[in-house]
Order: sequence, then C-alpha cells, then structure tokens
Amino acid sequence: MTRFSVNDRPVEYRMDPETPLLWALRDASNLTGTKYGCGTGDCGACTVDIDGEAIRSCLVTIAECEGRFVTTIEGLSRDRSHPVQQAWVAEQVPQCGFCQSGMIMSAAALLRANSNPSDAEVDAAMTGICRCGTYPRIRTAIRLAGRVIRGEERIAAAPPPGIRPEDAARAVPALRPPRGS
Amino acid sequence: MAGIRDTVGKNKSRRPQVSRRQILVGATAAGGLAIAWSLWPRDYQPNLTAAPDEHIFNAFLKIGDDGHISAIVPQCEMGQGVTTLLPQIMADELGADWRTIAVETAPISPLYANTLLVDEDSAVFTPRAGVPDFVSEVRSWARREWAVRNAVMLTANSSSVRMFEGPCRAAAAQARALLMMAAADRWDADWQACDTQDGFVLHGKQRLRFGEVAAAAALLDPPAEPVYRASSADPLYGKELTRLDLPAKIDGSANYAGDIRLPDMVFAAIRQGPLGATRLKTIDRKRGMASPGLLHVVTHDRWVATVARNWWAANGALDRFAPVFETAGIPISSDSIDAALKAALKDDGYRIASEGDVGEAMDGRTRIAAEYAVAPALHAAVETRTATAAPDRDGLRLWVATQAPAQCRDAVARATGLAPANVTLFPMMAGGSFDACLDHSVAVQAGIIALQVKRPVQLAWSRAEEIMRLPPRAPARAKLTATLNAAGGIDALVTRIAVPATNHEVRARLFDNQPADEAQRAATGRADAAAVEGAMPRYAIPHHAVDHCPADIGLPTGRWRGNADSYTAFFTECFIDEMAARAGSDALSYRMAMLGDAPLLARCLLTATSLGGWEGGLAGSAQGLACHAMRGSHIALMATARQSDKGLQVEQLVAVVDAGRLVNPAIARQQVEGGLIFGLAAAVGATTDYEGGLATARKLGQLGLPRLSQTPRILVEFVESDREPGGLGEIGVPVVAPAIANAMFAATGRRIRRIPLSAHPL
Repeated sequence: MTRFSVNDRPVEYRMDPETPLLWALRDASNLTGTKYGCGTGDCGACTVDIDGEAIRSCLVTIAECEGRFVTTIEGLSRDRSHPVQQAWVAEQVPQCGFCQSGMIMSAAALLRANSNPSDAEVDAAMTGICRCGTYPRIRTAIRLAGRVIRGEERIAAAPPPGIRPEDAARAVPALRPPRGS
Repeated sequence: MAGIRDTVGKNKSRRPQVSRRQILVGATAAGGLAIAWSLWPRDYQPNLTAAPDEHIFNAFLKIGDDGHISAIVPQCEMGQGVTTLLPQIMADELGADWRTIAVETAPISPLYANTLLVDEDSAVFTPRAGVPDFVSEVRSWARREWAVRNAVMLTANSSSVRMFEGPCRAAAAQARALLMMAAADRWDADWQACDTQDGFVLHGKQRLRFGEVAAAAALLDPPAEPVYRASSADPLYGKELTRLDLPAKIDGSANYAGDIRLPDMVFAAIRQGPLGATRLKTIDRKRGMASPGLLHVVTHDRWVATVARNWWAANGALDRFAPVFETAGIPISSDSIDAALKAALKDDGYRIASEGDVGEAMDGRTRIAAEYAVAPALHAAVETRTATAAPDRDGLRLWVATQAPAQCRDAVARATGLAPANVTLFPMMAGGSFDACLDHSVAVQAGIIALQVKRPVQLAWSRAEEIMRLPPRAPARAKLTATLNAAGGIDALVTRIAVPATNHEVRARLFDNQPADEAQRAATGRADAAAVEGAMPRYAIPHHAVDHCPADIGLPTGRWRGNADSYTAFFTECFIDEMAARAGSDALSYRMAMLGDAPLLARCLLTATSLGGWEGGLAGSAQGLACHAMRGSHIALMATARQSDKGLQVEQLVAVVDAGRLVNPAIARQQVEGGLIFGLAAAVGATTDYEGGLATARKLGQLGLPRLSQTPRILVEFVESDREPGGLGEIGVPVVAPAIANAMFAATGRRIRRIPLSAHPL
C-alpha cells in the first residue's frame, strides 16, 4: 500500500513500493522543488516534512509513508508567507538555490518544535550541505524567523506569486494599468 | 526594430587600429584565417524574440507596453547573482524602477561573446608558437574576432561584471536615448533636455512612463555613440538590492535542468567506465531487461544508459545490466598520479615568467627550498550534471545548465549528426557549478538517448557517477627555492610547479569535442601558462621565476572555482610564512616589507590584521595570514585555527577585500563568504583517492565537505574603492588553505605542506 497525504491531498502511487519518496514526489507528482543531490542522505536537498519531522526523502520508501502526512516545499505555504521563507529572502540566503528547499524544510521543522533554538540546536538540525556557502546567513535567518514566529517581529520580504497586473500598477507608478481596468 | 544598428559588444576602443593589409598578414601568420574574414557579416543583429506587446531595443533590453523591462543576461546563473547584477547595471543607467525589471537568458549570438575572457586566457585559446611579435596586436584582435564568431559566451574567471558592465551600460544608455527621443517627439522638445527616473521620461513637469513610449522608441535610430545618464541622486548601482531569483528559490518553483517536465517524458540514468580509453564491453541484457519499470536500454561506445518512468528505477536497472568496461593502458591510482607529479617536477619544464636574473642571483648562495603537494579538487555541486532533451521534428530541444552554450549546442549537434541550427538550447540555472558546467557530456548523452528512444528524456548523473566522471581540478606539486638577503628577506625565488596542462585539455574538450582521455594525452608535455597563474608573487622580490613542469598524470582535469590560483597561492603564501619564521620575523611585517609595490594588497592585509586582532604571529597564537590578488581583486585573510581532539578546528576567518567598486555589496559579500567556505572545503576535503582507474569516493558524505556546524565565524569587509570592478567569484577561495596552514604552524609549530590539510604532513 502506498497511500498517504502529500501537501494535504490524498495520493496513491502506482509505483514499486520500495521507490524512495523523493522520486515519487519528483517524477510522479512533479513536485520538483524537492531536489536530488546524493541519494545517500548526505546533502539534505531532498528534505521534506513527514508528520512534523524533517526527513531525507531519498532515504524513506513510499511504502514507509503509508498513512502519513508529507509536506514539501510547495506545500509549506501557498504564498511564500511562511516565516522561514520570508526570513530567507530578508537575509538573502539563497545563492544557487539548489539545496535551499531542503534547508528551508529543515528550518521550518526545527522552529515548529522550538521557536527559540540555541546555536547547538541549530547545528544539530541543519545538517544539509550547501556548496555556495550560505551557512552564516542560514543561521541569521533562522534567528529572524524564530522572532517572527514568537511574535516579536514582522517581515514582508518576499512577494506572493501571482500578483495581478492592475494591483502591480497600483503599487508601482512606472507600470501602466492594463487596458480596461 | 527597423534601422536599429546594434553596436553593443563591439566596444570600439578595444579594437586596435590596423590596416587591412596588416590583418591579412596577421591572419595568415596566425593560421590561415584570411579567407573567412571577408565572408563574415560584421554587424550582428539581436536574435531575441518578443511578446506581442514587447519591443526589442537591442541585444540586452526589451521594454513592454505595460512598462516591464526585460534584461537579457548572457551568462549562466550558478548562484553568483549575475541575473541580478547585470540587470542592476542596466536599470541604473536606464533610470528604471527596480520593481519593473524582469530577466531573460540570452540566446546564442556573437553579440554576447566574452572577449575579455579569451584575452585573459590567450595562451589557452590561441597557440602562440611561431607567431612573430610584430603582429601581436593583430593576434589579440583576431582572437576576439574568433570569440565573437564562435559566440564564445563563456561564464568563467569571475568575468561577468568585468566583461559585461560596459556593454550593459551602453545598451541601457542607447535604450534610454530612444525612450527620451520618443517622448520628446510627443512633447515637441529637445530629447537631450530630457531625463529619466523611476521608469519615467522627464522633461520639466512633463512625464511619460517608459511603457507609453516604448513602441515608438524602438523604431527610432539611436545616437551613434551612447549618451550616458548623468549620475543620479539615488543610484541603483551600489545598492544592496534583493536578488531577483530569490522568490523562486524559496518556494521550490525555480527550475533547474532536472525540473523540466514534458509530455511523455521518461528518465534516464547512466554508467560510464573507468577513466582512460574506455569501451563498453558487455552488459547482462537478459537480467537487465527484466528490471522493474525499465523501458529502454541505450548502449554507446563508452557508456550504457537505462530509461524508465522514474529515475530511481532507471538507476537501479543499471546494476542489473552489470556493465563491463574495457580500459586500455595501466589504470591510474593516487600513487601513479603522485609519481607522475614528482617525475615532472624533476624535468626541465617551461619558464613561464621571470623577472631579474634568478640564475645569477642564486649562483653560489645558500638555497632554501620546500616542497608542497595539492590533491585533486572535486566540484561537488549539489546538483549533479543533468540535461533534458526532446526530439523536435528534424532536431532536438535541450535544457541544460552550461557555461558555454554555443559550444554545448555544437557538441550535441556533432554527436547526433544534426545541424547546429536544429539544436535549440534552453540555458538553465545551475545548482552550483564551480566550473562543472563547462563539461557537456551530459547534454551530449541526453541528446543521443532522446533521439534513440524517440521521446523526451531527462538524464541525471548519479552522485557516484559525477564523483567518478567529472574531471577535477588538477592535483599539483611544487618546489619553491629561495635565496635570502642579509636581513632574511627574499632576494631570489624560483617556483616550479608540476601540474597537467589542464587548459589545453579543457580547450580540446570544449571546442574540438575531444574525449577526455584523448584530450589528456594530447596535452601532455605542453606549456600551460594558465596552469601556473597566480604564482608570480606580488611581493617585491628582485629576482623571481615561475616554471611549469607539465605532468602526465593520466587523469583528465578541468577548470574549477579559483583554478590555478587555488594552489599557487597555497605554495607562495605558505613559503613566505616559512621564510618569515626563519628570519625570526612577524609574518605580517615580513609581508608588509615586500608589499611596497602592491599598496592595495598591503591595505587589505593591514585592515584584516587590525580587525582580526593580529597578535604578532607568536607561537601558540593559532593565527595565520595569507593574501592574494587575482582578476582585478585583492584579498587578505586572517585565520584562527587549532588542532583539537576532534581534529583541525577553524574558529574564525577575517577577510578584507578590495574588489573595486561594487555593483551590489550584498552579493559581493555572498561571493566572498561563499568563496571562503568553498576554500575551506577544499582545504580539508573535497577530494578523492583514485584506484584502478576510478575515484574511490562514491558518496557526497565521503568528501568531508563542511556543514553549518563546521562553519567558522566569518567576517568580510570591503575596502571602499572607485576602481573598475574586480572579479568576486573566485577571490575568496585561494587564501583559505594557506592562512589555515600558517595558523596551524603558529598553533602547533608543525608545517603542513599538503592539501588536504588534515592529511599527513609532507
């Protein structure tokens, strides 16, 4: 049986039950925000949230996901509003961006359990590999996201997707409102 | 579009004054290129496509009726921020509102040739031998012409801003002039009296949005020379603007080559044989074909690929096919590589550069020497090499991250027998690269597989495959020999470096599609100035020389973030430290005494040591220094590191950089910080041993790459400067290993003369 929930939707994969979750997400569900970097749990680029825990999706089979709730980067928020996503833009964390889905999912799981982690707890939770070297900003962004979650600070750094042209034109004088609006 | 003459990318000041006759002489001397010259069109037109409400101004800019501005970026975004930096330069010159800027990747066109890079790497791109000096200027002109004709749009050598700031600014100035002309027409005003700001053309109290005049403006003739905007009170240049690629990189929507999804697409995995002249001998077809989910198997001279409905099934099937490869010659190993480097170091080699007279200066004097060794360095980008290919009527469509799109397209065309015009390449963002995207094998393989299975295919190399097959940065061995003056300062220095002629290999692979093993063999014994780049010290040493001793190590090698400077800085900066200790001198003042002719570097060094709290290099201080200059930038690094029961502990890195004026200080800081962490990884790992013709490492976790918990405190400061921008992508990398090695000496009294630093001392 390979029936479980992905981003709050029920899914049944007609695939070999031994297929790692990573490949069901990427190649069957086309949820390509979750990345392959090693297949051995080293890089963390494939990290997703399973029942509140950050898990390397290359190391768990779809059979093992039976009945569980999987959240990928696409399901973390509908509009980039998750505090970790906002903090990631405020601190300009990503460079090439390839490992960042996994980093963000790890940080979100960490902060859900503990919105004020110590440096050692951050070190223990953030075990992915980033070759661009974004680590110092990841640490700062996690602190910022924690403050947002604790209600001490608000940020609006990343715009939501799908802004309508007429709304954009209202905010940006250089843009012309579309005809008929 | 009518009447737009595009002069962007053909900076006239760079073209030397030469007569037609000189050109012919030079061309013939440089290799019989004379005939082609007269046949080649000189004025290239942009080959951009525009949406119905969008207007093409030139090769770098489109403006829409709605007011959006599409900035065309002819470089590969691999994390360095180029898709923000070049648009930022253009938006600044245009007087645009940053919120209206969109980005498109450039199509393949001669208009985007990176002529700066081929100039810098002249020894690599055009052979020098046999060309008399009197045509030297013509040769450099010819080299640029060659780069333009072949659309050599290389992304490399930290050159994006250095190459394209001028063309981008000129393109924006041209577009701005056209917008002002169109607005002035409406107002019946003098266009030169107009200005632009925040996406509006201004004239007195009148203002029009760019979008309102774009259609008319794009039909006008621009002024012959760009008319630049007077400096703005609130320039976008120099601001820490948020990178344009960030929103897509936090919600999973940023697409890399492996994220392309096409109707009917299938997934492929590949296995290639050991390094060297390898040939696929057998596969267990019967057992392999029974693999669950397998759709196709594609065999080739040098590899076997499996195709399935998901990548995991395809990759699993490879094991069942149990491919056997046959490799000619003696398979390489770490020992054979080391032996080849040692042998090369004993050979004569080539003198690449010299000043003064080292022979005379060293004659009869006491010589002090030290030897250093550096292991091969892996790129280990988190994205493995990946390409998506789809048959398309008579040709192929191809999605891949590449640092040389025209050469990638040509390689695929050549391998598949298609005309280059029938191969459409969509340049993708790279998930890291560090020069890995100069290797096009994955695109060629994806093209071959897609044509064979007659449907869209996505090929991703497994991590093991990438560790084994991507040519690493070369390993090297060096011997530095010095004679000292009475005060213990260096009077003469000879740096001999044994290293493969990597750049000849890269050139043959990139431009001639030579297989890696053949390119490696063909390059043996050749002088390669770029392989010892950065070895000429900036220090005032009266007599010094640099030799390249080409080593035949049997292992194909490639370019890598920092290239040769990543080892030459290690050799020089460790040796300088040794000489300082020998003279009983503080490593800072010993360096400063020799930096009279390098004030920018001296200033970086003084600032870094002051910020980091330099304690005078006392034994037990655990502090070490290194400084280096490359690609127009200067860096000094102070590292604090010690040996603990957990091994080498790097506690702090304090870097001061002079990179000229900064387009975007936040991105500049990212590049240096990231470069330091990349350098840290290379100092302690990012390498593999070789045995039986193969890398012994198979997993990312075996490479010792630092994670967040192993990241030291990092402080990066920039020297304020209005110099031309220097390169930033690589400058952080070379200083890390020597600064840590020198810190380890201060901490332990033991010299580490080998990278990775954790290995046994040499």
